[in-house]
Amino acid sequence: MMQALSDGMPEVPISPAAVIELLTAEHILEPQEPLTPDTDLFSMGLDSMAMMQLLLLIEERFRLTINPVEMTRERFATAIALAGFLEEKRRQAA
Amino acid sequence: MSIQPATTVDFFLGGLEAFMRRSGQGTHWGVTVLRLEGRPDAQILTQGWKQIHAMHPMLGARLKRQWRGWRWVWETAGPIAAPPICWHAAQPLPPDAAVIQERLQGRSSTGELSTPLWMEVFPWGADGGHVILLSWRHALLDGTGINLLLEKLAAGGCASGPPLLTAPPSETPAQLYKRARPLMNRLQAMTTAGCLSAWMKGMPIGGRPEYRLIELSHEESGKAVARLRALCGDFMQMPFYAAVAARALRLLHERREWSSPEIHLHLPMQLRGRSRELIFGNHMGAMPLFLDAGELSTLEQTVAHLLEKYREAMKEGMPQASEALTKLAAHFPLSTFIPMVRWTNMGQICSLFHSHTGAFLPGRTEFAGAAVQNVFTIPSVCAPPGLGIFVSDYAGQITVTLAWRGDGVSQAEIEAMAQRIRTDLTGIAEQ
Repeated sequence: MMQALSDGMPEVPISPAAVIELLTAEHILEPQEPLTPDTDLFSMGLDSMAMMQLLLLIEERFRLTINPVEMTRERFATAIALAGFLEEKRRQAA
Repeated sequence: MSIQPATTVDFFLGGLEAFMRRSGQGTHWGVTVLRLEGRPDAQILTQGWKQIHAMHPMLGARLKRQWRGWRWVWETAGPIAAPPICWHAAQPLPPDAAVIQERLQGRSSTGELSTPLWMEVFPWGADGGHVILLSWRHALLDGTGINLLLEKLAAGGCASGPPLLTAPPSETPAQLYKRARPLMNRLQAMTTAGCLSAWMKGMPIGGRPEYRLIELSHEESGKAVARLRALCGDFMQMPFYAAVAARALRLLHERREWSSPEIHLHLPMQLRGRSRELIFGNHMGAMPLFLDAGELSTLEQTVAHLLEKYREAMKEGMPQASEALTKLAAHFPLSTFIPMVRWTNMGQICSLFHSHTGAFLPGRTEFAGAAVQNVFTIPSVCAPPGLGIFVSDYAGQITVTLAWRGDGVSQAEIEAMAQRIRTDLTGIAEQ
């Protein structure tokens, strides 16, 4: 169920599909084949600019602030891993 | 004849080379050094070299203005023959700085380099050591391109050519101006503040390309990577190395008692949508950042400040503004581009050139059958800005190149900057 945040905006659910949508709709990655939840994102060309762009989009869409130090290969390896990390961040922030 | 679309970076580098030629600084060359522990297989090397030349007509390309649409394009006339790989006689020592300086000026021991890519093999010493020097025209390929080229050569060649590119959609000057406006505002503010590089009006322009290598040991490199991860995570290598470079320049300003309230960095960034098959034709765009000189006291503070500025610049659409401003400038003749930049920036181009283009030959321990000891790149720089700081990474081993021209930077200044860079990277102060 979608919950309302303190500013009245609905909280966007986090899932591997939502992460894939964020990566592709905003052209952070431009894969030749569709991304799957366990595609290796690093091999798709996530460089520092793409990561900064992703960080800002995560803030905007999921209302979560991520410190660059938290951006590890394990957490950003796949859409599943990233969604898991973001859900954990949201739980901690609640 | 065939036509490939050029990027804004091609135009920038073309303009930079035009400026270098006009100001007596020659053409814009880079040299990549591969240190090998044994003799590379001549057959593998020659086969890969010939295939790459056969598959990539861009090696004979010319950057020109297309009348239709008034766009910059690469014009190619079909495959070109590979120049011979030059195998030198064995020497007691590896090629010295004089050899590399000669290549950085576009010359070999027998005359001018006639092709944009030139390979030489130098056997040396009693232990079978070999050094390969790849000399390359920066107007045609950049550090990322060299990385891709090395991967192809290490694999013994390439079975296919580059993909066909499509020209980006055209925009009207009014649309471009609107997108470029945030950067133009920032540049105007910077001009008022007075950003400096390693060069100031009145100093000489030109001189022989000079360089100094800072080679970190495996232990020091490990410390540098740990420090990078602790400050920037696993993905923000470029901001980390840019912070190190900015602090080195800040030190130079302090030693000279120059006042520059800001440091103007062009943070290289991968152009979205560039193919890994695209070796030739430049990959990197520029993200303009303006760092407050008072925020560079420690590396930790500098990294935090740079990441904050990076975040701000992304929010303000600076990458798009930078691209739009360069596209606007591309309406003018190539030779006017850098003079226009310098006019806007009070004589400067930016505060320094720097880059880190990722790890060379990822996952490979051999090149043409010989064990690789290290790989690094030495680009030439022009004045202004008069200083370049470049970071190379092979299998976790970090090598930093300081590049300048003639007497633009003194040996004492280079020593001080080298010490600051080593200390910043490893966290260990030299005694």
